Amino acid sequence: MNKTPKMLNSKVAGYSSLITFAILLIAWLAGFSSRLFAVIRFESIIHEFDPWFNYRATAYMVQHGWYKFLNWFDERAWYPLGRIVGGTVYPGLMITSGGIHWLLNILNIPVHIRDICVFLAPVFSGLTSISTYLLTKELWSSGAGLFAASFIAIVPGYISRSVAGSYDNEGIAIFALQFTYFLWVRSVKTGSVFWSAGAALSYFYMVSAWGGYVFIINLIPLHVFVLLIMGRYSPRLLTSYSTFYILGLLFSMQIPFVGFQPIRTSEHMAALGVFVLLMAVATLRHLQSVLSRNEFRKLFIVGGLLVGVGVFVAVVVLTMLGVVAPWSGRFYSLWDTGYAKIHIPIIASVSEHQPTTWFSFFFDLHILVCAFPVGVWYCIKQINDERVFVVLYAISAVYFAGVMVRLMLTLTPVVCMLAGVAFSGLLDVFLQEDSSKRMGSAIHAAAEVDEAEDSIEKKTLYDKAGKLKHRTKHDAQQDTGISSNLKSIVILAVLMLLMMFAVHCTWVTSNAYSSPSIVLAFHNSQDGSRNILDDFREAYYWLSQNTADDARVMSWWDYGYQIAGMANRTTLVDNNTWNNSHIALVGKAMSSTEEKSYEIMTSLDVDYVLVIFGGVIGYSGDDINKFLWMVRIAEGEHPKDIKESDYFTDRGEFRVDAEGAPALLNCLMYKLSYYRFGELKLDYRGPSGYDRTRNAVIGNKDFDLTYLEEAYTTEHWLVRIYRVKKPHEFNRPALKAKERTIPPGNSISRKNAKRRKGYIRNRPVVIKGKRTLK
Amino acid sequence: MPKSGERATLAKPAPNVLKLPYRFDILLKYVSKFELKMGTNFVIYLALGALLCLSKVQAEIVNLNVERSLDLTSQLVRATTKISTEDTAGKPISEYVFFVDEPSLAYISVKDNADKNVQIRKNELAKGEESYTLTFPKAAAKQTFVVETVSSKNILPHPLEIRQNDKQFVKYIGHLHFYSKYKTNSQKTSAKLSSSNILSHTQVKPFSVASTKITFGPYENVEAFSLEPLVIHYENSSPFVTVNSLERTLEISHWGNIAVKESIQMTHTGAKLKGSFSRYDFQKEARSGQSALKSYKTYLPASASGVYYRDTNGNISTSNMNSGRDFIELELRPRFPLFGGWKTQYTLGYNVPSYEYMFSDGNKYQLKMHLIDHIYDNMAIDEATIKIILPEGSSDIKLSTPYTISRLPNELVHTYLDTTGRPVISFSKSNLVESHISDFTLYYSFSKISLLQEPLLVSGFIYIIFVFTIVFLRLDFSITSHSHKE
Repeated sequence: MNKTPKMLNSKVAGYSSLITFAILLIAWLAGFSSRLFAVIRFESIIHEFDPWFNYRATAYMVQHGWYKFLNWFDERAWYPLGRIVGGTVYPGLMITSGGIHWLLNILNIPVHIRDICVFLAPVFSGLTSISTYLLTKELWSSGAGLFAASFIAIVPGYISRSVAGSYDNEGIAIFALQFTYFLWVRSVKTGSVFWSAGAALSYFYMVSAWGGYVFIINLIPLHVFVLLIMGRYSPRLLTSYSTFYILGLLFSMQIPFVGFQPIRTSEHMAALGVFVLLMAVATLRHLQSVLSRNEFRKLFIVGGLLVGVGVFVAVVVLTMLGVVAPWSGRFYSLWDTGYAKIHIPIIASVSEHQPTTWFSFFFDLHILVCAFPVGVWYCIKQINDERVFVVLYAISAVYFAGVMVRLMLTLTPVVCMLAGVAFSGLLDVFLQEDSSKRMGSAIHAAAEVDEAEDSIEKKTLYDKAGKLKHRTKHDAQQDTGISSNLKSIVILAVLMLLMMFAVHCTWVTSNAYSSPSIVLAFHNSQDGSRNILDDFREAYYWLSQNTADDARVMSWWDYGYQIAGMANRTTLVDNNTWNNSHIALVGKAMSSTEEKSYEIMTSLDVDYVLVIFGGVIGYSGDDINKFLWMVRIAEGEHPKDIKESDYFTDRGEFRVDAEGAPALLNCLMYKLSYYRFGELKLDYRGPSGYDRTRNAVIGNKDFDLTYLEEAYTTEHWLVRIYRVKKPHEFNRPALKAKERTIPPGNSISRKNAKRRKGYIRNRPVVIKGKRTLK
Repeated sequence: MPKSGERATLAKPAPNVLKLPYRFDILLKYVSKFELKMGTNFVIYLALGALLCLSKVQAEIVNLNVERSLDLTSQLVRATTKISTEDTAGKPISEYVFFVDEPSLAYISVKDNADKNVQIRKNELAKGEESYTLTFPKAAAKQTFVVETVSSKNILPHPLEIRQNDKQFVKYIGHLHFYSKYKTNSQKTSAKLSSSNILSHTQVKPFSVASTKITFGPYENVEAFSLEPLVIHYENSSPFVTVNSLERTLEISHWGNIAVKESIQMTHTGAKLKGSFSRYDFQKEARSGQSALKSYKTYLPASASGVYYRDTNGNISTSNMNSGRDFIELELRPRFPLFGGWKTQYTLGYNVPSYEYMFSDGNKYQLKMHLIDHIYDNMAIDEATIKIILPEGSSDIKLSTPYTISRLPNELVHTYLDTTGRPVISFSKSNLVESHISDFTLYYSFSKISLLQEPLLVSGFIYIIFVFTIVFLRLDFSITSHSHKE
């Protein structure tokens, strides 16, 4: 009697581990391959802006070694300031890909570092889905875990940051985030030092990889704090949190970029506070067991007051002394969405720092965004220690995702997990009972059925829909509480939803997130052929081949990393926007007249100026469209010279045509964008100088450049590079007679008493060949 | 944006051109002095022979008729010289010394009447003059043969810098008379130019100009070592592009594939671009940037597959491939048009099946492939390095080349699944032109069994992993004795 179910159980366990393995493998493969759209359509190439810096840094590390990398002073960025790279990056990404490269090279597999960088994020997406599975399994059941793993493998919210070529911190950080949370939940559950030390190690990796580690170091203390408030204190909690906090603190301080921040900045103070609180609670608990009730009450009141006042005074004093730094601007903008727009235009100018729209929630998460509250409800209904965690995770992530588009990324994993819980719970109701009759243990059965269902769901992706029908029929034969018709209808509906989700994910990935953005492709409507605009690389390669090795290129900061990465030339500002005043200076140069900006450019030793101009092909992300941000940032630092209102018309419009503001029509950016564009006729009927991006004929057509000359313009005019002339190379523009001033002083001082003004007029005695008398 | 590197490469040939005639001038004066005093040719040649340290001087040889035709349409000077020679004493001629009158000679070949190759031996440089001794297959009193030479960097842009819309003018500086150590009875030189727009040329009568062709001569009874300059200043809009360095890597796999990879660095060595580059003019005006290199054709073997064309920034998306019957025509466009003084770099690679190039006899193998391949028409390569990566375990390697090369030390390279490393044969050669496209032969031996090494390695590795997993999962490593929960 006793043996049969056990054997059955072990058999089921064998099958379920096989199914788990198979589903996770398929999820990995599906996640990996759906991220390859860009590679297949274009090529194995690094995308966008930041990845170019990461790639360049990785290549430098691979070439020069780890210690040289840590000490790397990059004189090609932020000219003339330079940048200490080793101390201003999160090196986890570079170490990861450099380590893989090193390992492969030891095995004599000569893979280029670029290919490792390109495929790193897709490979890590598989690891993310495995750690999501583990975390969800800890929280709910392995069935829900498999759902969550399958969801996160293909959900667009995560794919947007981890397609092949998008070599950025987030690609590996989400894995580290999920894995840290998994280890943390495990350690809270078991109270074992082993798991919490593991969580601290994983946290260390996260700190080395992404600035988002602050999310962990605030969420875990929050979890502990809420557990304390809920009266769920346990020695397990004490062990796991104190181990995690101390080890994690020490580990995180090993990263040069983080340094002493964990003990000095306000972002990290919550963790310390909770640690102290936890210690206090533990002490009180201990005292409670030792002292009598009366003594304990006295001690509690006095001690509590003293400690409270002491901590408060200490924090205030330390903040005033400047030991604890105030909150950083980017952090403020998390709480006050209007903060950045007023105080830090440079943060507000980045599109991914904008608040999220409702549309993008659905776009990135599709059906999951609806299933996710159900999961939260399930978790709250059957609350325990670790479900408190996931509820807190969900609430905070939803808030942050609403503030910044970029933080959609931290919301995605928890949405996947809770949607997995929701779907699993739903299928539990509709599939559990009939299975329970067959199997011995209800939990096992539920898990098994979930897995089976999940595998069917996975199979629908791989066009094996035939089995699906059979399965539902088979279930329907069982006669239980809910009518079989209802069951099959519900299951079919759920499967339909999941199928649509898969279709949506693939569609979004292929259309929205798989463009490398340095290569543009468009379909020719006439013959259906695919044309490629490769202007960016054309220009960067021209710079790398045909300019002096130490040439300094001025451009708006968006293109700094690309210029450094692809053209290998010195830039003035780049995407690491650490120095606002330097950026403002470049913004001022772009928005001043040619003459004034020449002064700025010579003072900064600029050799070339690079502008992006989309007017010929109708590319909307060009510099004229970004121009107002340049003006705003410049105005922030130089309010006397640059005024945003000057660049608008009287009616408050920003226009480039004849009605545009004169300050705009004569500024450097305008001239560099439209130089000789006024002569260009894009089609036979239209007027010349018609800007396709802004749908207007440009206002200032006929002008010449005095201080600069066109050095190169790409095939579709997308990138225009100008050379700044040296002072001896141009004719200074003639001054009008009344504007001329004769420099005083110098000429007079050389004259002695005899050679005063007017002296020569009186003595016109100059005999040729003879010396004039003195 | 003049760069020091570019200037150096451009400036190099100039002193050579100037130096040589100058030195010849001194020589000529010296010779004519002797002539005045002694009055006999014999003595002069003896003295000259001693001077030039040449051992075999046969004063009796006279060039009866020399017809030179210079092809100056591209950046290369292709000279075809038809020489009829005779020994005045009636002795059979078996050897003839041919002097090269142009610096940086890239290629020379000599054919006799019956279109057979004549043996050439390069003499030691005497006072910077390059000369070759030709050995005829059959000694005869009268010999007629054709010498073909190709030289690069003898046509120089003049002026050195032009604006974008300007035409490119070049100057050819050579010798009006056939430069020979023998007396020439009658000679004629014709120069074929790229356009009829001739600014100036040497005016020694008789000469005639017919649109793109100038004929000089016939000139009668020209003394030996005569040095009359020939200068032609004319329009030449063809892009002067030089490959500064070519690195060609051939990786041989005995699984049936040969991977070819060529890394090319090229410079436009014509007239440099002065002032700004205007995209508007380049797109709208036909006469803009005529001498710029916009695209060119590369011919690959017909069996080539998996062609890639890329640089450090990735794939260069502007190329077209047309497969012909005998070859593949690849139309390559650099990322940007190459104007004078501009540079670019790229890598071109493809695979060819090995059965077309590899022959075997048991364990002995023979590889026969082009030493260099076509890059663009009228190409000029400054320096080429060829690397041949043989499979792991190849031995008894012997290389034979159609012309002299300089061998570089052998290396070992480790790639996929290698243990001991693959031997790499490498050699280099400078100043190459299209005529150098010919086969080298590499002999080596390789045992067929070692072909199995790599699959065995992989399967062994996987096998070990499985065994390890099986063992590991069945062992209990826990310290505590309680049973597992699940």
